[in-house]
Amino acid sequence: MSRSNAPLPPTGWQTIGPFFPRTFFREGDNDLTRLSADAPPTKRGEPIWLTGRVLEEGGRPCVNAVLEAWQADAGGRFRHPHDPEHDKADPDFLGWGRAWTDAEGWYRFRTVMPGGYRDAARPRAPHVNLAILASGIMRRLVTTVFFPDFPEANAADPVLNAVPEPGLRALLVAQSAAEIEGARAFRFDLLLRGEPDAETPFFAD
Amino acid sequence: MRNALPDLYEPYDERGQPQVPIEGYRNTVLRNPRRTPFRRPVTRTELTGPMDLSAKLHPGDHNLAVAGPGRVALGSLIHISGRVLDEDGRPVAHAIIELWQANAAGRYFNPLDQRDAPLDPNFIGNGRCHTDAEGRYGFFTIKPGAYPVPDSGRWWRPSHVHFSVLGLGSLSRLVTQMYFPGDPLNDCDRLLFSIPDPVARQRLIARQVPTTEIEGEWLGFTHDMVLRGRRATPPLP
Repeated sequence: MSRSNAPLPPTGWQTIGPFFPRTFFREGDNDLTRLSADAPPTKRGEPIWLTGRVLEEGGRPCVNAVLEAWQADAGGRFRHPHDPEHDKADPDFLGWGRAWTDAEGWYRFRTVMPGGYRDAARPRAPHVNLAILASGIMRRLVTTVFFPDFPEANAADPVLNAVPEPGLRALLVAQSAAEIEGARAFRFDLLLRGEPDAETPFFAD
Repeated sequence: MRNALPDLYEPYDERGQPQVPIEGYRNTVLRNPRRTPFRRPVTRTELTGPMDLSAKLHPGDHNLAVAGPGRVALGSLIHISGRVLDEDGRPVAHAIIELWQANAAGRYFNPLDQRDAPLDPNFIGNGRCHTDAEGRYGFFTIKPGAYPVPDSGRWWRPSHVHFSVLGLGSLSRLVTQMYFPGDPLNDCDRLLFSIPDPVARQRLIARQVPTTEIEGEWLGFTHDMVLRGRRATPPLP
């Protein structure tokens, strides 16, 4: 079906700008394991942290970047009609969170290790989708984080394999880091613009 | 890869979307990748998204102009309303809409805005609501002021409000700005003009409701927003 059949083109993007209100962020927004700030965290899956820095050209911290995360539950399911097994999805897991970077560019999400799943033709490795918004980013940047626990699943993942160079694919695999509050932590840094072998691979939205 | 999921999303028309870098806006140089983004197959994880964020992102602040009894913000009182639609023109119900803007003097209530323009103690300038079953939203607010962009070489931002819209799929995310009709600053705004297609630019400019149709004391503007995607996501059975 061609674009011309659609009567309404999507509204044009504009940057989030430098003044996205801090008051939009509340306690627990960066916690994917809770439906709301006062809800208990899900009991399914391994609690983990996903943390890292967002850097701009020259390796300087990107301050006040907004990151939005979306992932499957520990069983690899989404509570959404496009998942044929949505009725089996974890009802206590939201799978979405929002974080913003501090003066050094650090962000942090609390979540559970996502499950992999089989999509139509190919299996997807466990992963977290990240979208980045910041002043100067006119359209969100999107990328996907994979985990070092699953080298075989990663090697077969169709999205990771959309990045042709092995060195760049390695940039999309988070690294094990020191535990935080008794849970495993994974480090994932994003370099928004840099040398070809260091700039984070992003996907067309 | 052939995907068994419905083909709901097509690539953006680049002429209808902002192009970078933008002169006088250094962050567009520092923060946008050099490399062309990789095309990826669309699988379940891209087609899905959170179905209900209202417990996480509390709606309810749809009147920004009145901070409390007798505490009305300075500026022209306006009402912005419209619909959130998908590309088929169907309403997107239960979308979350976040709005933030400068006060009537063009100053944001944000510690990062260090310009001299005055703050208004009765105006914070941000709110959140969600669309109803017909995709409708509405905010009571004031008309924001224009302001010069620091270190940009005589570039003024026209009056504008920021919108962040979260629909029912990850790919339907939208962050945009709304402009006001008839503002001469629109014709030289570098952010608006980063969109090459003039028709697409025009879609970011609100329509003023004819004053003969207004019943209350709020000057009305209507502004529809179209989220990417066709065949609106059905509700969970």
